[in-house]
Amino acid sequence: MAEAVVRNGVSIDDGFAEAFPMKATRILITAHSIEWARHAAASATGFATSVIACGCEAGIEKELSTDETPDGRPGISVLIFSMSGKELAKQIERRVGQCVLTCPTTAVFAGISDGDAVALGKNLRFFGDGWQISKVIAGVRYWRVPVMDGEFVAQETTAVTKAVGGGNLLLLCTGTDSALAVAEAAVLAMKKLPNVIMPFPGGVVRSGSKVGSKYASLGASTNDAFCPSLVGLAPKTELTAETKCVMEIVIDGLTERDVGEAMRVGMEAGIAIGAAGGLLRISAGNYGGKLGPFHFHLQKLLGARA
Amino acid sequence: MTAWRLSLKQGPALRVDLRGVVPAVLASLPVGEVERLRLGYGKGSLALGELFSVAASTGGEGDELVLQGDLSRFDRIGWQMASGRLLVDGPAGDYAGACMSGGEIIVKGAAGALAACEMSGGSLIVEGNVGDFAAGTLPGSMDGMRGGRFVVKGSAGARFGDRMRRGSALVFGDAGDFLASRMVAGTIAIGGTAGAHVGYGMRRGTVVFAGAAPQISPTFVPALVDPAVFWQLLARDLARTGGPFEGLARRTIVRHLGDLSADGKGELIVAAAA
Repeated sequence: MAEAVVRNGVSIDDGFAEAFPMKATRILITAHSIEWARHAAASATGFATSVIACGCEAGIEKELSTDETPDGRPGISVLIFSMSGKELAKQIERRVGQCVLTCPTTAVFAGISDGDAVALGKNLRFFGDGWQISKVIAGVRYWRVPVMDGEFVAQETTAVTKAVGGGNLLLLCTGTDSALAVAEAAVLAMKKLPNVIMPFPGGVVRSGSKVGSKYASLGASTNDAFCPSLVGLAPKTELTAETKCVMEIVIDGLTERDVGEAMRVGMEAGIAIGAAGGLLRISAGNYGGKLGPFHFHLQKLLGARA
Repeated sequence: MTAWRLSLKQGPALRVDLRGVVPAVLASLPVGEVERLRLGYGKGSLALGELFSVAASTGGEGDELVLQGDLSRFDRIGWQMASGRLLVDGPAGDYAGACMSGGEIIVKGAAGALAACEMSGGSLIVEGNVGDFAAGTLPGSMDGMRGGRFVVKGSAGARFGDRMRRGSALVFGDAGDFLASRMVAGTIAIGGTAGAHVGYGMRRGTVVFAGAAPQISPTFVPALVDPAVFWQLLARDLARTGGPFEGLARRTIVRHLGDLSADGKGELIVAAAA
């Protein structure tokens, strides 16, 4: 293994994150005020941390000004990722139906136009019980569903695009406070980028996993090589005595470039805090490069290696 | 691929059917074959070259066709056209742009009856007036215009948008009686004054009045709710056409719903003074 690169006291592994193809869409949720758009977006992207058990990974991409939305109202763009187009379609319909349609004053529009069309408002129209109205404007179909606060307007379909899921960073720190500070700073910087979400709570996952388990029914289990409480017990550890807390950030993005850029920006934010702030080393999770076609080399992203 | 310019040599004694004279067909023909194309002429036919002189348009693209002259006795200009650009430099007869599904047609004069009849796509612009039953149906058909964008910069006759199903039809000027009669869906917008019986038998669809408020029949009821989101989507789209629709999205609206006598869920939207 080649030497790690050190930046501001932080050791950057000569390693890579391994990521996978996913399917994704973007939807735009607008509302009477940004607060109500936030309620709808937070609700629709809730319980969407991992495709392992949530069906999709979803998050808020960014808030939109009134100049950026189709109806001139405040809005939020949401990204949703699934392993298959079919599951994605199901998740979209459920989440929009239960969390956006229900939320006061919202309307929902497609945020991507290139790709296979999947239902957005298409099946929600039946809630109108026959009173719903279709409108085709400039070749795009919208549904107007009468509801108690007026009308729920939903574009009929949104488009599904290929995407990349599972970019990641492992932040090895001296303690809980420093690990949180570094992770929070990294996520804050990454949230400013378009086309990516960090689906775990606060953008951070504390329960990083490895493939396999001693239990036949579990596909993944705790990444013991990175568990500080197993230093000295586990047969193999990646940690030193100083590493008391490790946090992982997982990134899903619309393209390989978007994920790589998010990883780079996250690393730079951590490096700015540096070893002085408790960040000892940055690593990344992979499966030996055999499962996922997308490899994000940490040093290469930082431009620290040819 | 040639862009042809057909110039009318003389007015025809009988009405002429110009179906088939579209850019996609003519572009790949040599001049001799263009001149030999048969046109419906009364109950018979005659060669195109007898009525038109044919020349290649200089600087034109292969998918363009120009028809020049007083074509008010020439019907079905652009009939079933699916692609390309057709410019009529003069008035057109009946059924201009009828059943077109794509491409662009511009008529620099007036058009006769049934312009944009059963249009399903593309763009038709008539710079002058149109006659009766524009955006309407072929005889016996249940649906009229069902797609595309139809703009009349002059005024329209009676029954504009009769049984219209989908698409957008805009009139900068006035419209005659029975505007949007039996409308199934789609959008009509008018910048001037409408005649009597707007929306007669309307089932769904939207008629926007950017000019004077029309007389509204008692089978329409006032709407309580201002559909703000929908209005922004629609008004912004209509405003792209300019003219009396510019700035439409900024104007407040009053709506009526109906036609209740047809179980209708259509709407008549009157935009307040600009």
